[in-house]
Amino acid sequence: MNRALLPEMLHSTDMTVLERQRARFKWQQEQQQQQQQQSFFGDLSGVFQLQQQHQGFQGDLGEVVTRSVKPDPSLMDNGWSDLVGFGPCGYGNYNGSGFDVNCAISSTSSCPPAVVAPATNAKVLAEGREPVLSEKLNSGVARECLKKRKVDKVQNSTKVVAEDDSRGKRIKGCPEDGESKNTQKNNKSSSTSKNSNKENSAETSKDNSKVTEVQKPDYIHVRARRGQATDSHSLAERVRREKISERMKYLQDLVPGCNKITGKAGMLDEIINYVQSLQRQVEFLSMKLAAVNPRLDFNVDNLFAKEAFPAWATNFPASGMSSDMTNRAYLQFNQVQQQQQQQLVTCCGLDVGINPPDMGLRRTISSPRSIPEMFLDSSCFTHIQPSSTWDADLQNLYNVAFEQGTIEASNLLKMEM
Amino acid sequence: MNPDHHSSLNPSSSLKSRFTKTFLRSLIKINKQRPFPYCPREIFQRCHRVKTAADKSLARAAGSRRVWSRAMLCKIRNRSLRRGCQQRPSVRRIIIGYQTTKKGYCLQKKMSDDQEVGTDQASKLRKLVPGGEAMDLCSLLDEAAHYIKCLNTQVQVMRRIADIHSS
Repeated sequence: MNRALLPEMLHSTDMTVLERQRARFKWQQEQQQQQQQQSFFGDLSGVFQLQQQHQGFQGDLGEVVTRSVKPDPSLMDNGWSDLVGFGPCGYGNYNGSGFDVNCAISSTSSCPPAVVAPATNAKVLAEGREPVLSEKLNSGVARECLKKRKVDKVQNSTKVVAEDDSRGKRIKGCPEDGESKNTQKNNKSSSTSKNSNKENSAETSKDNSKVTEVQKPDYIHVRARRGQATDSHSLAERVRREKISERMKYLQDLVPGCNKITGKAGMLDEIINYVQSLQRQVEFLSMKLAAVNPRLDFNVDNLFAKEAFPAWATNFPASGMSSDMTNRAYLQFNQVQQQQQQQLVTCCGLDVGINPPDMGLRRTISSPRSIPEMFLDSSCFTHIQPSSTWDADLQNLYNVAFEQGTIEASNLLKMEM
Repeated sequence: MNPDHHSSLNPSSSLKSRFTKTFLRSLIKINKQRPFPYCPREIFQRCHRVKTAADKSLARAAGSRRVWSRAMLCKIRNRSLRRGCQQRPSVRRIIIGYQTTKKGYCLQKKMSDDQEVGTDQASKLRKLVPGGEAMDLCSLLDEAAHYIKCLNTQVQVMRRIADIHSS
């Protein structure tokens, strides 16, 4: 039965010679051991649906894990169904002694047949077999499986390739991922373990890889880099500093015009200014809304929402793009404030109606001409509306608010220069 | 573009849609409750109400998992409580005290580390981001990033609404 099914499997999938050898070897191992893990059968079939590796055992564990988790029925029919058809004992062996097999094989071959291990680990560990697993796993490959299990759980399809380089020297748990800003719990007790290079490379991929929380040990292993202090305090300090710098980089992407600023202090200044300007905008817009609202028909908000959403979809197709618009508006705002306030007023005076800027805004998001008008129209508001229906008091109100905004913005500019 | 379109049609999917729904509802409520204001004082009141509604709906849309959204909701609630019952100012203090003592010890520990970045800047940022008083720098930056994202959304939506109404 072995021979009958094995060639079938080998021929059906696109496996390399090495993989076939490995599979054959594993086969033989499994046939020897008769541990029954019936309960995991159903889980494993689900797991195998999760872990659809089209080429079977890839050379790169990372790529294996980062394959799409969508089930591939064709593959199921070809390759894996044969594996399933091997019988429950096959799976049982995968489960129990498969770990030994994996370890044994991993010690011989660099490419982990522990490719299967993630599949098994994913569900197996979920069932609480971690103690057993941790005992049996004695290679870095297996530790990687721990991590990959979590990746699987999180359904993360991003590349964990950086970690593949250091398969053999993997740190237990996920220190780099623990350091990522996504992690919420970091019980740091730094102790020296592993590669500094891997730490670096993993940190670069930190933004891509999601959190894989450490299940068994809740602390992070950190290694001192070459030529640096090995004190535990300084290690913890360094980890913290790196976290902060990573978050500053993320903020640099959010806040517009921060690409040239390199220092933490300058960045913080920019962030503070940006947050202040956003809050001021909110205040101003709320005042505008308070003044404008009652004029319009607000009967059907659902209808309005439905009508507005498509418009939004066209106008703000991507948050990145819209934030870009806001960013440009923010920069334009600053530039505009450089001019005399009278010039502003005259510019507004030229914009007779608010409609043309609005239409321009709706048509093309990326037209810089309309963006300053977006800000200017709020000042236009003060000059146009009173001519139609507004009170002089309201006009004064708007003027005061707007002037305050301009004064603060000019201060802001002075700070920048 | 299509996936965004579809996701925006589903009201509970994105921050923007959630915020818009809540904000529009509260705007309608404000309009119904009060007549159109003709004097500056009423306009101020109304503006304050609109701003509160905007902040509240933003905090709700952001979810309670974020420190800043929780802090903002607490602040709004305290303010309404204070306005509602002037004879019990102790309520506010108690609630705020609870918030700060939860992570007060954290702040104590990390105070020394702030100096490397610039304490005044960090303190400024703390004042700006709601709930930032009792956070270490790391999580403060995290919260600030999320807060900036949500503020962007809020500004976009409000601007759009204002444009629609003014045209």
